[in-house]
Amino acid sequence: MTESTAALVPEIELEQISMQYPAAFSDVLALQDVSLSIAKGEFVSLLGPSGCGKTTLLRIMADLIQPTGGRIEVAGKSAKEARLAQRYGIVFQNPVLYDWRKVKQNITLPLELKGVKKSEREARAMELLELVGLQKFADQYPWQLSGGMQQRVAIARALAMEPEILLMDEPFSALDEFSRERLNEELLSIWSKVGNTIVFVTHNISEAVFLSDRVFVLSPHPGRLSAVAEISLPRPRTKEMRNSEAFFRLIAQIRDSFEGV
Amino acid sequence: MNELSGLSRLRFLPAFLWAVALIALWEIASWLLLEVLQVPMAQSKLPYIHEIVSTFGQYGNTLANEGWVTLTNAALGFALGAAAGASLAVLMSASKWMERLAFPYAVASQMVPILGLAPIVYGIVRDEQAARIIIAAYITFFPVSLNMLRGLRSAHPYALELMHSYAAKPWTIYWKLRFPASLPGLFSGLKIAAPLAVTGAILVELMGAQHGIGVIMLRNLYYGPSHTYMFWSTVIVGALLGVLSYLIIGWIERLAAPWQPEFRSKGGGR
Repeated sequence: MTESTAALVPEIELEQISMQYPAAFSDVLALQDVSLSIAKGEFVSLLGPSGCGKTTLLRIMADLIQPTGGRIEVAGKSAKEARLAQRYGIVFQNPVLYDWRKVKQNITLPLELKGVKKSEREARAMELLELVGLQKFADQYPWQLSGGMQQRVAIARALAMEPEILLMDEPFSALDEFSRERLNEELLSIWSKVGNTIVFVTHNISEAVFLSDRVFVLSPHPGRLSAVAEISLPRPRTKEMRNSEAFFRLIAQIRDSFEGV
Repeated sequence: MNELSGLSRLRFLPAFLWAVALIALWEIASWLLLEVLQVPMAQSKLPYIHEIVSTFGQYGNTLANEGWVTLTNAALGFALGAAAGASLAVLMSASKWMERLAFPYAVASQMVPILGLAPIVYGIVRDEQAARIIIAAYITFFPVSLNMLRGLRSAHPYALELMHSYAAKPWTIYWKLRFPASLPGLFSGLKIAAPLAVTGAILVELMGAQHGIGVIMLRNLYYGPSHTYMFWSTVIVGALLGVLSYLIIGWIERLAAPWQPEFRSKGGGR
């Protein structure tokens, strides 16, 4: 996505976001004056080493924590209003599936809480399972699935409420390299069908480059936005692009931006 | 299919042989004490198993009836104690303030010796049935409460955040997440408490009651060596009641929370 479209309809806007955690001797500044804008339908990554505050930033967007300074707007509303209106789905580092529910029932959980009728819930769950390629596993228990499959169930669950925004916190970091790459491709294919805004937290440069329209590079101590990389690779992204010169150049460019820190 | 049943027969074979060997050893030791060493009161110390079995045959009805009285009273007390313990756990999980208020007393209650408490309770209620039920409930209460509280707190932080992201109400979070997550803890507590509740009920019976396995246990102890086989039979019935209560809870657990790791078939996980 180019800069002109990115500026079109902002979905998430952060202005001078700061986050300070109280600590024993001196307060820890997890985030300092982070300002950024994410457009509707855009796929962005928050990239950085541990301690750079990328997960904190995502959790602020999700209204799981409140920033100590700055302003945040999600779809023209406060983060809390966006949460209450179910504007976003969230995927954590762990799948966090409920052991006592079958795969299908895990996906219908958010629909259940909203009071959607049972027949509708089930139909929606089957659609979503098809989207993530797990129709056959609807009546299995989560622990009967591999880690990668569990994470796909978590994605399906996050999409259940048809959220405009999908917030993903290092969703594939626990998987091996092969599963991760395959799930990257699958995530892009899901995104191309659903078309929502995705904010993806990762510490893996090639993953961020492969997936994103833009990569926000964060650096630690204190966590701040140090660079924004436009990923000019065409869509749809293919496996072969991972070996392209442009891909490597982008990775090198982002890696360089860490050197300066 | 044939091969499978053959395999399972093989699996039980060691346990069967072990039991037979144990009984044989017991009988031999019993015979040695009685006939060879001629120890005084040998049969009170290590009675012949075949004699106890024949006593079971002779007085089976009495043993079953009295055992049933003990079991039902213990079960009633157990149910009341479990309900109270689980309720307190919910309250304590919902409020730190409540926990700070109630927990020290819950712990202190466990320091009171049951042997001393039973006659006090009996003296107050003046009813053997009520006393038995109260003591069984009292014993059940603490392990259930403690384990249930742990279970309620065992929900993964992410799972709670997920609920938060759905803007779920507190009651919904309990119903959909905390209660199911607490089941393994609840059942650990129940499995500890069930045999203890039986023991508690028997203890109250020993202090004076009309019915129950504890009553005939005490009587046969008074009658001395001539009733040694009956005494041993009552002790065995008491133990069996404890085992039975444990098995029943385990069976209910399998129905209520079959998703726990220990119930998963080995081939299922990937």
